Amino acid sequence: MTTETQEPQGSEAARPPFYRDVRVIRVVGQLVAVIVVFGIAYWLVNNLISNMNRLGISTSFDFLFGPTNTAIPYHEEFAIRSPVWQMSLVGIKNTFLAAIFGVILASVVGLIVGVSRLSDNWLVARLATFYVEFFRNIPPLVLIIFFGFAVFTFGPFPIFSESWELKLPGSDDTLLIINNDRWGVPGFTATGSLVLFWVILAAGIVIAAYMWRRRTKHFEQTGQPHHRVLWFTGVVVASLVVAYIASGQPLDVSWPVISENRRRVDGGFIANWGWISVTFALGLYTASHLAEIIRGSILAVHQGQSEAANAVALSAFQRYRFVVLPQAMRIALPPTINQYLNLVKNTSLGTAVGYAEITALTKTSVGNGRPAFQSFIIVMAVYLVFSLSISLTLNVVNRRLQLESR
Amino acid sequence: MTTTAPAPPQQSSLDWVKKNLFRNWWSGLITVVLLPLTLYVAYRALRFLFVTGQWDAVRVNLTLFMQGTFPRDEQWRLITQIMIFALAFGIGLGTNSAASRDRAEDAGLVVERGSVAGTLARMWSLVAFIALLLFFATTDDVGNFINPFLVVGGSMVIAGAGYQARRLPRRFRNVGWLLTMTFLVIGFQTVSGFDAGGWVPLGIVYGISVYSIAPVDRFDATWLRIALRLVGAGVVVLGIRAIYAVVDTPGIGWDEWSGLHLTLMVSAIAIVLAFPLGLLLALARRSTLPALRMMATAYIEVIRGVPLITLLFMGQFILGFMMPAGTLLSAITRAIAVMTFFSAAYIAEIVRGGLQALPKGQTEAGQAMGMAPPPIMRRIILPQALTAVIPAMVGQFISLFKDSSLLSIIAVLEFLGVRKIIHAQEAFRGVGIAETLVFVAIGYWAFAFAMSRESQRLERRLRVTR
Amino acid sequence: MKITKLLAAFVALMLILAACSSDDDAAATTEAVAGEDGGGDGDTGGKLAAVIAADKIVCGVNDGLPGFGVVDDAGVYNGFDIDFCRVVAAGVLGDADKVEYKPLTADVRFTALQSGDIDLLIRNTTWTATRDGQEGATFLFTVFYDGQGMMVPASTGFTTLEDLADANICVLSGTTTELNLAAVFGARGIPFNSVVFEDNAQLNPAYQEGQCEGWTSDASQLAAFKSAIEGEGGEDQFIMAEIISKEPLGPVVSDGDTEWAQAVEWSVMATVQAWEFGLDSGNIGSYAGDNPNILNFIGTDNFNPGLGLPSDFAVQVVTQVGNYKEIFDRHIPAIGLSLEGGPNNIWTEGGLMYVPPYR
Repeated sequence: MTTETQEPQGSEAARPPFYRDVRVIRVVGQLVAVIVVFGIAYWLVNNLISNMNRLGISTSFDFLFGPTNTAIPYHEEFAIRSPVWQMSLVGIKNTFLAAIFGVILASVVGLIVGVSRLSDNWLVARLATFYVEFFRNIPPLVLIIFFGFAVFTFGPFPIFSESWELKLPGSDDTLLIINNDRWGVPGFTATGSLVLFWVILAAGIVIAAYMWRRRTKHFEQTGQPHHRVLWFTGVVVASLVVAYIASGQPLDVSWPVISENRRRVDGGFIANWGWISVTFALGLYTASHLAEIIRGSILAVHQGQSEAANAVALSAFQRYRFVVLPQAMRIALPPTINQYLNLVKNTSLGTAVGYAEITALTKTSVGNGRPAFQSFIIVMAVYLVFSLSISLTLNVVNRRLQLESR
Repeated sequence: MTTTAPAPPQQSSLDWVKKNLFRNWWSGLITVVLLPLTLYVAYRALRFLFVTGQWDAVRVNLTLFMQGTFPRDEQWRLITQIMIFALAFGIGLGTNSAASRDRAEDAGLVVERGSVAGTLARMWSLVAFIALLLFFATTDDVGNFINPFLVVGGSMVIAGAGYQARRLPRRFRNVGWLLTMTFLVIGFQTVSGFDAGGWVPLGIVYGISVYSIAPVDRFDATWLRIALRLVGAGVVVLGIRAIYAVVDTPGIGWDEWSGLHLTLMVSAIAIVLAFPLGLLLALARRSTLPALRMMATAYIEVIRGVPLITLLFMGQFILGFMMPAGTLLSAITRAIAVMTFFSAAYIAEIVRGGLQALPKGQTEAGQAMGMAPPPIMRRIILPQALTAVIPAMVGQFISLFKDSSLLSIIAVLEFLGVRKIIHAQEAFRGVGIAETLVFVAIGYWAFAFAMSRESQRLERRLRVTR
Repeated sequence: MKITKLLAAFVALMLILAACSSDDDAAATTEAVAGEDGGGDGDTGGKLAAVIAADKIVCGVNDGLPGFGVVDDAGVYNGFDIDFCRVVAAGVLGDADKVEYKPLTADVRFTALQSGDIDLLIRNTTWTATRDGQEGATFLFTVFYDGQGMMVPASTGFTTLEDLADANICVLSGTTTELNLAAVFGARGIPFNSVVFEDNAQLNPAYQEGQCEGWTSDASQLAAFKSAIEGEGGEDQFIMAEIISKEPLGPVVSDGDTEWAQAVEWSVMATVQAWEFGLDSGNIGSYAGDNPNILNFIGTDNFNPGLGLPSDFAVQVVTQVGNYKEIFDRHIPAIGLSLEGGPNNIWTEGGLMYVPPYR
């Protein structure tokens, strides 16, 4: 009691002059920092606006509603008078496409190469090392250009009119069309409204996720086999079937077909050379980094874990699948997130092979006289949303994984 | 007795194959599948490199790849720069080796000697690339690369001479470091010029050196010591300034650099400029002041969240307009500015990692000694944190070096961009396109690989000394 | 101790850099400020005075355009556009070598002009209304009348654009070519797919390997690559007779500085005037006739119409770089185009090269 009343007095008495008072310094210091930073920012923006006004450059976003006036490569359906914002949407979609498939490719190859580096087989380990050292040390831009050439321009593929076609045995439907410009595989096409279909499917996935957790819990409580993968897949497949029938069969398989004049591939899912070059180059480049991360993480799992697995007579596969990899994944996750983010950002190099992603399209659009500042602000915002949302989601996942390990 | 087992070596090599290639059935299967495939790919690659490749586009334009449109009359500047940098690296490596020898001796450890052969073997990718350049230079009938053998040989001899700095006695370590810095600055200015304003870097190096190593400790009063140091530093700085005012020779600014020279210099310049900025950002992000922390975090997250190429476009299209009307920034200046601000965010995260990895006990020990926060940071935390992040910094430099290839997209003539102008030349329109790309890839690879090897070595060493 | 050293090193290096670039920047800034005074309010003498003070012209060029702007293996720029940069330097500064070349991409060229990075843009830039209006650029005397064409392998037998329905067409990104392609094919209702490339180094092999059936570009470029492809033993190529757009190419300066624009324009036009007078680099110095127009043109008795140029500028231009025909012959026939019968011939022989009289 007494000390409590005395202390303020004591500190009051011993209070240093204001210029040496930590509390004052903290407040003043922050104020100064904020003023300086915002002052510089204000100065820059102010210069920018006055310069743009002086030169008669528009400072509004109205250009987004003006006509695009150029064709988008590999989007014949895009009307050239469509507004600029639609062009940007196409770009965002393409960025997303390259990023998604790149991440999948990188993960698969990265895992294989990372594990291979630790293989007993000398040749496999050496090849994996070579792979990592080769891809890791070449700029992704050079790799993308290289893929555009090695795979397409100078590659083994035939020209469009002489495309390879792989027919489904005993039918006229084509499974695969390959030439040096586009690859076509079967896809789906909507014949009716898909809203109901997606709603039912989403519900099915939620139920499946719930079943997964239930089975896991069940397993933890009773020790009975959980079969959660089976359950999950079963529920998803069932909901797919239900959704398909309930919504009136709105989907149809669309087979790729080469047009009469052999210059177009209609139907199916068509991959163009730019997309394939970007996806492969970035996928393989990122895989070399992922492989190193995975190798490091596996090595970081305590040796005793492997020995314990051997002691209970697990096979090499079981040892990896159930003991080493689950632990390694936890260590590997944060740097892996970083690599995925890098991959997403690197898709912006698609401009080198004429891939119509958001940066390339915006660059062309700016070259055609659209205001640069507003255009690139939009592009940066798109990437920022991509990056921040990925890192936020994966951070949540990461936190959950780390908690489970305790 | 006569039917002895096969000789041990034979047996061991067979054993090796058995153990490493055919350990079990699936390992054997993989070997059987992969081996022919590997051999075939290797055969095709080697055939392309040595038989079918049309390397004329590279051979004729070798100088263009190396120095681009840098004025040929001024080529001596680049050659001198290579020599002086070689000297600086030699002295630096020698001094570093001597310093670690000192530390090992102090700790009573066995001193491990590095050898020239060892260094060359570690740097084999660079050695191979230089050999490739020399090979092209000798078969170049244009003959415009002045005595490349003389340049390579000369710089190796000079570097070797500089390496003898390791023989200097212990009290000259600081002199070794000072010489390294001096030659780095002078080497840089051989190209960029010794203008009257060029005194600043050497002035700072010598000013700080004199201030921090001045032998004035026998005076008792603190203020007297500080005053003497300040006077000493001031005199040195003024002296350097006077020398530069007398010399005052202009050089070739970076606006006129290109080719591999520009690639290397741009990456180095950007990382050097980014370091102090990144350090400040890291400290701000770890600060207890919320305003500082939030601003630093926002900056770092925004920069790291967008691709470098969009920032470079912003730099090309916008940065000029962000300055007061009439300010001129060349394309290369803007690119360097963007790369600096870009790397600063990444360096900040690296440094933050280093700071976080330090146990809290270090700070607490400092506090227990009654030290104020700034000295704790400067004398205890930062030295340890920064040493720990050196490998990561090298990694960042490699990544910046690779990223500098993006400058070709904004029409800066760096190493990759030279390709484009070569294939506009009459003789090489559509000729040797794959070859020039492969050459460029080899160039990037050789440097990046050597640096990543070096960073792995540093990492191992740091782990050992822990 | 060690850390101080490290920091000192970094700070020092940082400052070297600052110092090294400062000399250029200082010069550039004064120049720009001087230019700004004139540029801003349309006053006289701003940019011209600044250029004369700096004693060099910064010229934005293309470094990968056969015939117009290329860099040889010695790192030297040459080409038709490059020669016109030299023409302006010879006219304004009296020395054709006082040019600093800035390679630019198609996208960034007008920004470079607006921000004052370059004094002059000669980079196969098409004069269009939008650019003249929105990009703050002033287009000057057209030095090359080009047109966009379409090239196909001769073996295909295609002769009209309609033959290319649905085909892949190779085109460079960020150019008016890309816009014209979309506009012309769109207007005629021909479906097509554009395959976009950053530069010809990539486009050329893709075309030759058959990824695209047509290659559209300025006719001069198509001619250059046609001769290159055929010269290397490739397939025969065919350039369609139909020209799908007008592409007048000439020097560009930024808006608002008439004096500088005049100086550039008259330096450039002097090459055509000399050709019309029959003067070339060989004989202009020794002209002994008494044609008063020619005497004025070569600055006899210090005749100076007050364009801000020295009175002997025409002599400097023609002796150092040549007349229009000489410049043309130096670069353009090599890429497979001839002067005769084309639009770039002099008006007296049926071409479009017609300059205002010099008197």
